[in-house]
Formats: sequence, C-alpha cells, structure tokens
Amino acid sequence: MVILRPEETGLKQLLDRILDKGVTIDMNVRIDLGSLDLLGAKARIVLASFETAEKIGLDFPGGTVLNTPAWQDLKMKQPCPICGMESKREDLEKEGCPWCGWNYRQKERYE
Amino acid sequence: MIENTSLTPEKDSSGLADAIDRILDKGLVINADIAIDVAGVELLGIKIRAALASFETAARYGLEFPFGTNLETAAWKEAMIEKEECPQCGKRVDTEELLNFACPWCGWESARAKKRKAMKVGAKVEVQ
Repeated sequence: MVILRPEETGLKQLLDRILDKGVTIDMNVRIDLGSLDLLGAKARIVLASFETAEKIGLDFPGGTVLNTPAWQDLKMKQPCPICGMESKREDLEKEGCPWCGWNYRQKERYE
Repeated sequence: MIENTSLTPEKDSSGLADAIDRILDKGLVINADIAIDVAGVELLGIKIRAALASFETAARYGLEFPFGTNLETAAWKEAMIEKEECPQCGKRVDTEELLNFACPWCGWESARAKKRKAMKVGAKVEVQ
C-alpha cells in the first residue's frame, strides 16, 4: 500500500511555503526636506522556520544550545518523495522509506 | 453500535488552529536590524533575535527558558522524545515506536514494521 501525500491546501500550504522559503525584508527609507536629510531608517528583517534558519545560518538568540538531537535531525533527515514523511537519509537510501516502503532501488531492478 | 468506524483523522486540516499549530511546531525565527537616523545622526539602533516556538519545540532545539524554569519535570523529559504524527489517526506518537512497531492508538503499521513482522514469521516457520 502506498500512502499518498496528504492533500495540502489553503492556509496550511501557504504557511509552510513561507516558513520554508523564508522572508527577507530589506529596506532603506530616507525622508528629506529641501536639501536637509531629515529622517532615515534602515531595516534588515528575516523571517524563517527553524529548519530554514539553520540552513541559511541565521543567528539564534543568545543562550540557544545548537547541538541538541533535534538540530542533528534537521541535517540528516529527508522527506520521502511519495509519502512526504521524514526519515534519516541513510535509512532512505539503504532500506527505502520506512514509512511507506518506497524504494528507489526497485526501479533499477526493472530496468 | 459504533457508527463512526473511519480511522481518518477528524482534525480539519485547514484553518487558523492548524496554522498556529504548524508555526509553533516548526518554530519561527525573526531577526531584525533596524537603524534610524535623524539629520545624519544615528539616533536609534534595534537588534532583534527572536525565536517563536511551542514549549516542546523550544525544548528540543535547546532554546533558553526564563530563569527559574524547572527543566527537570516529567513534561520536559517527555518533550525531548522525538514524536511524529501517525499517518492514519493523526495522534502524536514516539517516532521509534511508530516506525518499528505500530501506532499504539490505531494500530497502523509502517512499511518497516511490516517487513520486520514478515521476517519474524519466516523465522518461526523455519524453526518449526
């Protein structure tokens, strides 16, 4: 039996996308009156999920322990192309997806 | 008589509650550097390093908790166990148990658990 990736629609999918891709706001605002610089504002803002933040090397608040098992998992886990469940890359390559049984090697056998 | 025998999760998969669940579960990082100057003089600088997550996610990613939080309670130990949603019933279950055995709530079995079971049955037959 193959479990199909649950159909994701609407808000949930939108949110997932935004969090996974990350959002950057980079702006410079300058207000001047005549030739006089009145007000200037510079803002660099990023918004991302933990996973993305780790990948692109964002700074975490001071005091965060960056070597808990959860961080290791982020580096090692891969989603299955069929069911979308995450498992260790090593497992995925050796035994196939432990969740749904998908295995890319099966394809090789037929060819 | 049991009327509802379907094992599909009853949770509505769209909607605000689910969106909040998702954000808290994945965690959100908000970093900002803002500088404001008036007439060429740097007046105000703001540096924000913020992380937003549920207690469980925060504990697993080692975020710092306010001073005085007792991190030795049973709930924290529970939070450190890796959990995954059962694809069938949607309950959050210990990943190891779900993958290697079955979902303790609905009995769903992963491909790996099925394979293991088949191997065990094969071994028993050989012994007999």
